[in-house]
Amino acid sequence: MVKLTINEQEVEAGRDSTILEAAKSVGIIIPTLCHTKGLEAYGGCRMCLVQIERVPRLQTACTTKVNEGMVVFTETEEINKARRAVLEFLLINHPLDCPVCDKAGECLLQDHVARYGASEGRFAEGKRVHPENVNDPFIVRNMQRCILCARCTRMCGEAQGAYAISVTGRGAHSFVEPFSGDRYNCEYCGNCLTVCPVGAIMSRLHRHSYRPWYVEKEVETVCGFCGVGCTTFLQMRAATIIRTLPKLGTGVNKGLLCVRGRFGYDYVESEGRLKTPMIRVNGVLEPVSWEKALAYITTRLKDIAKRHSPKAIAAIASGMCSNEDNYMLQKLMRFVIGSNNIDSTARLSYAPAKTYIEKIFGTAATANNISDIEKSDGIFTAGGDPTAINPVLGIQIRSAWRRGAKVVVSGQPGGLGNFIDYDLNSVPLHEETVLNTIVIGLAEMKGYTGKNPYIEKKIKALRVPCEPELRATGVLLENMEEAIDDLSRLKNPVVVVGPALLQSGIPSKNLFLVAAIAYLIDARVYLLSKKPNYRGLIDMGCVPDSIPGGLPVRPGQIKLKKGVTLTVPSDKGMNLFEMIEGALDGSLKALYVMGENPVFNLPDREKTEKALKALELLVVQDIFMTETTRHAHVVIPASAWSEKDGTMTNLGGRIQFLRKGAAVSTGRSEWRVIADIAKALGMNETYSDSKEVWEEITQISVLHSASEYEEIKGVGLMWPYGSVQFQGGAEDFEVEGLEILPEVPGRKTSEGCVVPGNKLYLLPERSLFHSGSTTRKSKAILSVSPEPYLAINTVEAGRLGLCNDDTVWVKTARGAAVVTVKIVMDCPEGVVMLSNTFEKVNFNALVGYAVDPVLKCMVLTDNEAHIEKL
Amino acid sequence: MDTMRCAADTPAPLGAAKDGASESAMLKDKIKVLKKLYPHARSVLLPALYAAQQLYGWLSEDALEEVSRLTGVSPAEVKGVVTFYSLFKTRPLGRNVIYLCTNVACLIMGADTLEDFLHNTYSLSNGETTADGRFSLVIMECIGACDKAPAMLVNDDCHFNISMDNIREILDNYK
Ligand code: SF4
Ligand code: SF4
Ligand code: SF4
Ligand code: FES
Ligand code: FES
Repeated sequence: MVKLTINEQEVEAGRDSTILEAAKSVGIIIPTLCHTKGLEAYGGCRMCLVQIERVPRLQTACTTKVNEGMVVFTETEEINKARRAVLEFLLINHPLDCPVCDKAGECLLQDHVARYGASEGRFAEGKRVHPENVNDPFIVRNMQRCILCARCTRMCGEAQGAYAISVTGRGAHSFVEPFSGDRYNCEYCGNCLTVCPVGAIMSRLHRHSYRPWYVEKEVETVCGFCGVGCTTFLQMRAATIIRTLPKLGTGVNKGLLCVRGRFGYDYVESEGRLKTPMIRVNGVLEPVSWEKALAYITTRLKDIAKRHSPKAIAAIASGMCSNEDNYMLQKLMRFVIGSNNIDSTARLSYAPAKTYIEKIFGTAATANNISDIEKSDGIFTAGGDPTAINPVLGIQIRSAWRRGAKVVVSGQPGGLGNFIDYDLNSVPLHEETVLNTIVIGLAEMKGYTGKNPYIEKKIKALRVPCEPELRATGVLLENMEEAIDDLSRLKNPVVVVGPALLQSGIPSKNLFLVAAIAYLIDARVYLLSKKPNYRGLIDMGCVPDSIPGGLPVRPGQIKLKKGVTLTVPSDKGMNLFEMIEGALDGSLKALYVMGENPVFNLPDREKTEKALKALELLVVQDIFMTETTRHAHVVIPASAWSEKDGTMTNLGGRIQFLRKGAAVSTGRSEWRVIADIAKALGMNETYSDSKEVWEEITQISVLHSASEYEEIKGVGLMWPYGSVQFQGGAEDFEVEGLEILPEVPGRKTSEGCVVPGNKLYLLPERSLFHSGSTTRKSKAILSVSPEPYLAINTVEAGRLGLCNDDTVWVKTARGAAVVTVKIVMDCPEGVVMLSNTFEKVNFNALVGYAVDPVLKCMVLTDNEAHIEKL
Repeated sequence: MDTMRCAADTPAPLGAAKDGASESAMLKDKIKVLKKLYPHARSVLLPALYAAQQLYGWLSEDALEEVSRLTGVSPAEVKGVVTFYSLFKTRPLGRNVIYLCTNVACLIMGADTLEDFLHNTYSLSNGETTADGRFSLVIMECIGACDKAPAMLVNDDCHFNISMDNIREILDNYK
């Protein structure tokens, strides 16, 4: 600590702090322009000049470090004169068009000029002219207003890692431009407009539609687009969202957002929002009153339970909905109807991966702070591009790399492309050999500790790949060896697991291998989750085999306060896949779907549709008509992410508040509707708000029993929520094909010759811009990513004679679609990719799936593709 | 009159490239060599851009993207650097480029008359190229030769102490 005096006040400050920080700690505000939270000091604008005793010239407070005994003044006649001069220089070119500038009222230049004067410059020359650019879908650029503080370029480079904009030109003719000089064509995180202090970079979404002082209400909430759970602020006027506004330094995201969180919110105000409940009459969905719809559902559910059994009823929970919504659905199914048939699309990969990893390492393994990733010294990722699936988590990896961390990527690097030390991008179906090699290499370097005998025994059983097997991966052995070397030296490593790891090859083997890497280097594990509340819904018991809090289903009674007793049903519940089979074989008669679109989100669309058609009752609670509501008997309008209160649990286990901002639709909170149905079916409890639901959760869930509602405020509540009994220990686990490795191409197999080199596999593209059915209703997002495309690598495109924008047929055993081609550098050979976003052409309609016998996750099948030019 | 060849600017022998593909290949090789000489990708940028300019004659957007790919510096940043330095040509210029300094020292020593001369003799104004493609004119801020003002560069050659008496003679050497 250092002692100094600022404005005759004694201040104590850390040795490394700047005068600006020291002053702020005692409430002395020094005006700044180029300095901003989260970015390194720049010292470019000279607005923060201060006077230091015995130092001849004024110094910039944002870059000058404190010293013992320093005597500083921040507001003197001399300083103010200098500040006035700085501002006068800026006003030489600044257009002073405040009346038509959206920034007016929250503009730093305006504020500083108001305070320090120099209302206009003395320069007689004309101001520079540079027309406003409104050609970009998201960002309006008015470079006449730019004061060249370089906050935006530093944000885009230093923080976001996109390096998409740069100061071009020289002197007074410097302007911040993207490469094209026109549209940004960037990652569209919008973080540059968060930091621009003036009206030079503005959002186009609400251009000229408000003034900052029109904002009537601001709520702090979490983004509802992915499992990172970024904190964001909704600013509203008359129940309409004016804008989302992150605050620098706040939340797990520290004020950064991605394109979905920043610009994608307009889907909640889309015209397609459902307004009233509907019941299918003679094949057509007809609007009915809420009473009628709920009465219909309860009568039909009662009837089905009586005629068949409660086991003939199932529910699909939602990763888009809050913990309270999911808890209530679980309660309806398990404790009111009496069936353990509840699951969600987390079953496809997130839930099985979580269960497996926790079985190996104990329950603490997957609960980790997302914002700690940037502090690690090495990251291993497999199974998908974090910068697309969980963008702000991906940004953490980029910034760790920039600080010197080693980044090793197995699979397509995507947005990590420029932030990688080892790119181990193997050909399809051979990733396993690469992982296998890394595990054996690490085991040799690190040795065994004996800490977990189960996993060590299995590592020892692995077979060393032979030369041809290694060659078949398409990854150089020396690359793997160097990666092993670097991985073995890490002190604070992180392993990131994405969904693709489980979706081809042998899932349990792949996941075991990655777990073995994590074990050998002692890494923290992060499971990517595209939906915001997959982790929460699992904790809420929306899985067939465990109750809220994660304890396994054991038939019996649970006693709550106020003498309430809940009965746990004894049947073995159906998982998502079994529900589909059950509907087809007639053992399942009714399905309640909350905030999910299984027809769209599951491969083998035909099968799902056939299954849903066979049901006696399909209830769908959603905010839009979807591919699934097409088969529904009853459709209930739900409330969107911005319209309800509740809690969400991010992928690392942090519980945060989701807060109600606007209510546009006439939809009702999912949990309220479900509670009404449950009451009609005999539930006694009543709830006046989501807090009361949460309180019930803490009574039944051992995981949440020690948590305090109030503690969720602010940064949220981190796992294990005050409870100590949840550390858990390692158990033995199963792995399939431990000693076998993928076939070497060209070698004869029983079915003939396998030559992956000439085969193409269709894999899902997980886009940065889209996250399924919500973003495709966002006009804003559609303006940058309007239609599907088939991603293909340069070599394959050359082989097939394809160029960008060619139209092709993609044909698989399951179907065919017409789509345009986009040549993508980092798409591996042997792979073509298509997203599952758009209505007409989507990935899931073209492929099938099988259920992995060990993990019970989904494995893609029938995805061998043929491409024909149209 | 003094003339000097700027050592740093001496073009490396790159051979004659005709079609775009072999130019690309040469640029790739050249940048590979350059990368070994510098500690960071970023420090390779200036020499890489210079190599590209020598190969292609000027730096088109395609060339910038190519340099970006080969150096790993983002296209936007490459553009930022290119537009900062006036010796990079962002559009095709004449066979010979006159970089005439008109900053304070040169102005006092008569650079304005030289500018007028160029205008009257070749109809050349700042940023323009003569109809026959022989000369282009780029007006420069100080080129660091104030002690020998007025000064100009023609292509890679520096010319000092220019006056109305010798400018025609100097330029006659550039066809
Ligand atoms: S939106 Fe993001 S990626 Fe695009 S220029 Fe701004 S900071 Fe860079
Ligand atoms: S655009 Fe805004 S943030 Fe960027 S340099 Fe200009 S004033 Fe600063
Ligand atoms: S990273 Fe995820 S939570 Fe954060 S803004 Fe993007 S979509 Fe939202
Ligand atoms: S804020 Fe200190 S120089 Fe800009
Ligand atoms: S002013 Fe012309 S060289 Fe310096």
